[in-house]
Amino acid sequence: MTKQETNIIAPTLATRRSPLYRRHLQYQAHFKQVGDNIVVDSYPNEGAINDEIEIAKSMGLCDLSTLDRTGFKGVGTPQWLASQSFKVPVLANTAEEQSSQSLLIKLSAQEILVLSDLLFLSEDVKRLYQKAVENHQSYDQQIYNLPRNDSHCWLAVTGINATELFSKLCAVDLRSHKFVQGAVAQTSLAKTNAIIIRHDLNKTPCFYILSDISGAEFLWDCLLDAMSEFHGAPVGLSALQTLASNQ
Amino acid sequence: MPFGLLKYGLTKKYPAKHHFTPEKALKKHYDVVIIGGGGHGAAIAYNLAKYHGVTNVAILEKSYLGGGNTARNTAVIRSNYLTESGVNFYSESVKLYNNLSNEFNYNVMMESRGQLTLAHSDAAIRSFRWRAEVNQHLGVRSELVDRQSIAELVPNLNMSEDARYPIMAGLWHADGATARHDAVAWGYAKGACDRGVELHQLTEVEDIIIANGRVNGVKTNRGTIHCGAVVQAVAGASSIVAKKAGIALPIHCYPLQAMVTQPYKPILTPHVSSPQVHVYVHQTSRGEFVIGGGSDPYPLYNTRATLDQRETLSAAALELFPFLTQARLLRQWAGITDMTPDYSPIMGLSPVKNYFLDAGWGTWGFKATPICGVTMAALIATGKVPDLIKPFELERFYRFEQINEAGATAASH
Amino acid sequence: MKLLSCPLNGLRNISEFTYGGEYHPTPDHQTTSSRDWAEHVFFHDNTAGIVIEWWCHTPSSFWFLAERNTLTDEVVRTFTPDELYTKSIIQHETKPETTP
Repeated sequence: MTKQETNIIAPTLATRRSPLYRRHLQYQAHFKQVGDNIVVDSYPNEGAINDEIEIAKSMGLCDLSTLDRTGFKGVGTPQWLASQSFKVPVLANTAEEQSSQSLLIKLSAQEILVLSDLLFLSEDVKRLYQKAVENHQSYDQQIYNLPRNDSHCWLAVTGINATELFSKLCAVDLRSHKFVQGAVAQTSLAKTNAIIIRHDLNKTPCFYILSDISGAEFLWDCLLDAMSEFHGAPVGLSALQTLASNQ
Repeated sequence: MPFGLLKYGLTKKYPAKHHFTPEKALKKHYDVVIIGGGGHGAAIAYNLAKYHGVTNVAILEKSYLGGGNTARNTAVIRSNYLTESGVNFYSESVKLYNNLSNEFNYNVMMESRGQLTLAHSDAAIRSFRWRAEVNQHLGVRSELVDRQSIAELVPNLNMSEDARYPIMAGLWHADGATARHDAVAWGYAKGACDRGVELHQLTEVEDIIIANGRVNGVKTNRGTIHCGAVVQAVAGASSIVAKKAGIALPIHCYPLQAMVTQPYKPILTPHVSSPQVHVYVHQTSRGEFVIGGGSDPYPLYNTRATLDQRETLSAAALELFPFLTQARLLRQWAGITDMTPDYSPIMGLSPVKNYFLDAGWGTWGFKATPICGVTMAALIATGKVPDLIKPFELERFYRFEQINEAGATAASH
Repeated sequence: MKLLSCPLNGLRNISEFTYGGEYHPTPDHQTTSSRDWAEHVFFHDNTAGIVIEWWCHTPSSFWFLAERNTLTDEVVRTFTPDELYTKSIIQHETKPETTP
């Protein structure tokens, strides 16, 4: 029982909780703390960590809602981020991985979302949060903080069968030859609004989903229900971290 | 009896007497021109002729009698609205409906079967209690009923607590009814034509002649007519016709779709409506289940039927009545609803002298037909706006005095 | 399902969009009478034919305009608001008031 030490961490210990923590408790998840964040490490009842990696390679669902993210909107946003030496995507609805590993997503000409990386390597989001606080008065620059931290849940659907799953739930064609690495779709998923981002974990296809926090349990249940025919299952962050760090 | 029928067909008595004006030329002048030969237009003509002695009246209908939204509505009659103005107005209409077959000596197949509106949330129960109180205060039979009463009223309703939106309570409206919509239009038109009113079908108004702020006549595809007064009663085309008189209206046209199943044995007595699952269902005296309530999500002047609405209406109807799962659909259609910002009609005077409005009938026009005929005829004949329709004047929007009729079918959607 | 082309997100099911009303230039806040405001807020052209109207792509909250035929339900074209709004409304609002 190498996971014994993580078992005692309850998802309610931190001020910031996932809207799905009750679901994770139902699955008797093991939690771990990374910095200020509590995340699901694994679901031991579903099998050992190696099994979870195999599930994630085929079809897995992971809750990333407590991970750091931020965003900005307004005419001045792209230029301001570029001046902070970020690589800002040229086209709307595309994502660009930064050298620091964080992910910049251009949602429209004036709106950028920033997601932290799964291995917690980048400090970008924290740095930008600090900047946003300092720049509080900078409304004349037309940059407004729109972090999607508390308004959205953040899920990941992983694995080679993921596109099969989306063909059941989403009208946009998310197959690999149409929806390549870095592609973004703002659309309807399981009849709820979502931002879908293709961001593979090395060779394992991975789709980030950001959706309204109030519908998190609905979406989680829908995805799991739709996954059942592909033997998909929830996976902890550790499995995704392994896939993200292994070449 | 086939021989009797054959014999009758060969006698001089055949063809039977025409109910309506036979085809003939338009006169040069009428006292009143009514644009629109639907239930409302016919009812106004009937009341003018019978109760005000105004018989030099022409009803101009671009298509055929009762072929517009009179034919397309789902024939629900009720008065369980929310505002005092609305309840008073519609309850007078229901009273007139109850005596309409006698009034015409013509069967309009009025059936008082009651109407049940379902609440699936605490908020809905609160608003139903409010409506019941207002209704009872104004003499309309409405009451809040619990799950047990609902199960007794409609035994085949899905009362499962596992439904997506379990039924929590209902608003029972014993005055709710239905009637044959064609018969209503025919009855009024027959009564009007018997008294000298002329019904001109296939006669479209192309322009409205106005001089010094007063209406003088209309140009039609069959020639120009002069007249003392014009009333427009053209649901689904109100903005288009009013524009010809230079009048802007606070109306957007949306198609409202409905469908019917094949006929089945009588199994459902009242009219059942659910604002939350967006559907209403009743069984006609022919046995068809009428499934309605699907407004298109954006304005359109097109009565096409869509698969989207068929899916959502079917899903909603099955949620309430799972036994319909085997039912086959016979047809699906749309009517054009004139939606106003406050879900109340626009009736009475207009900025043009002697040009009268009977518009903005959204999803509540059929049930208002009789009272509309009475009040509009009184207005045209006397020049005085009857108290019952005073709140519905166009001018209310300029005073920001809307009549927020949250009891309207589309309002709860 | 009917499709609509969003200038930002491309061709999508009509169910992803919300109709936002007829396009009318906004009257000047300072000088418009309440009668004209009522007309702007409540009254509609309700044209049977080609109209310009607002639409919102709900998943991205992106507002744009469409030219649509209300008789045939055919969309002629969709375009971004900057075609009609060459000046920022915010700048317009923050300009100093000249009269009290």
